Amino acid sequence: MVIQTAVYSIIIITVFMALVLVYINRKLVSFDPLSEPKGVVLLMIMAAQTVDNMVKTKTNEKVAKYLAPYIMTIAAYIFLSNIAGLFSLETPTSNYSVTLALAVITCILIEVYSAKGRGVKGYIKSWFEPLAPFVVMNIMSKFSTLLSLSLRLFGNILSGSILMSVIYQMLGNISKLIPVIGQFNIVGVIIAPALHFYFDLFAGVMQAFIFITLSVSFIGKELPDKQ
Amino acid sequence: MEKAVMALAAALCVCGGCVTGLAEGKVAVQAVESIGKNPDAADKIQSMAIIGAAISETCAIYCLLVAFLIIFILGA
Repeated sequence: MVIQTAVYSIIIITVFMALVLVYINRKLVSFDPLSEPKGVVLLMIMAAQTVDNMVKTKTNEKVAKYLAPYIMTIAAYIFLSNIAGLFSLETPTSNYSVTLALAVITCILIEVYSAKGRGVKGYIKSWFEPLAPFVVMNIMSKFSTLLSLSLRLFGNILSGSILMSVIYQMLGNISKLIPVIGQFNIVGVIIAPALHFYFDLFAGVMQAFIFITLSVSFIGKELPDKQ
Repeated sequence: MEKAVMALAAALCVCGGCVTGLAEGKVAVQAVESIGKNPDAADKIQSMAIIGAAISETCAIYCLLVAFLIIFILGA
């Protein structure tokens, strides 16, 4: 059995996230609610409020209470995974198993909230809408949600990392034209950071945001009445 | 000869991105226009525009993935 290199970066990211969360928890517990928040506490309060508001506007209050923590968790996890390339780890989200697992969790949540909202009878009936033969179409549409959610994240991050490696090769070949110090990839050091900013940071933040927005919208679509 | 055909096939796959570029530009144009007409709804329009762009981007990503499959799996 071969252990893929992404497993090590997943473990490192998980341990890092756990340590940061323990640190933030200590800060929040010792925080005096009457004093003015600043630093890490202020940042966490603002992040929690933003996610809470986003989930509340797309779903309803009752659902948001349980959904918002999950959304915040996957947002932090996907963001950290996407920028792992900057710390010379292999990006976990450029491994299809990871993105497929994340998309499967979201798809199961969609089905659970659909069943909760319609009741068991209405849920079974929703598979055969509008006519009985449409059950094939409904099953296919559920799978297409799963495929498009996972492949979007995977394709974006994978294309970014492959493009970066191609660019490093090209810049290495260019810097070989410079005598003596050319063996060291000197052009790459100057040009590559700007591209890392786009392919790792910008694409990473965008894809994490898009993933959570689509998850919340798909779940909100299944709820019976939005207030 | 085989490699040349594979490279051509991969290049043709990525051509699907052209149409997606046009479509995403259209999304951005419409979003800017509607924010100009109705500045109060800017927040809602922004999130809808991002979702629309993301969904239409899927097409380009499928093209890219097929190109990668041709290069790295058929070509290896």
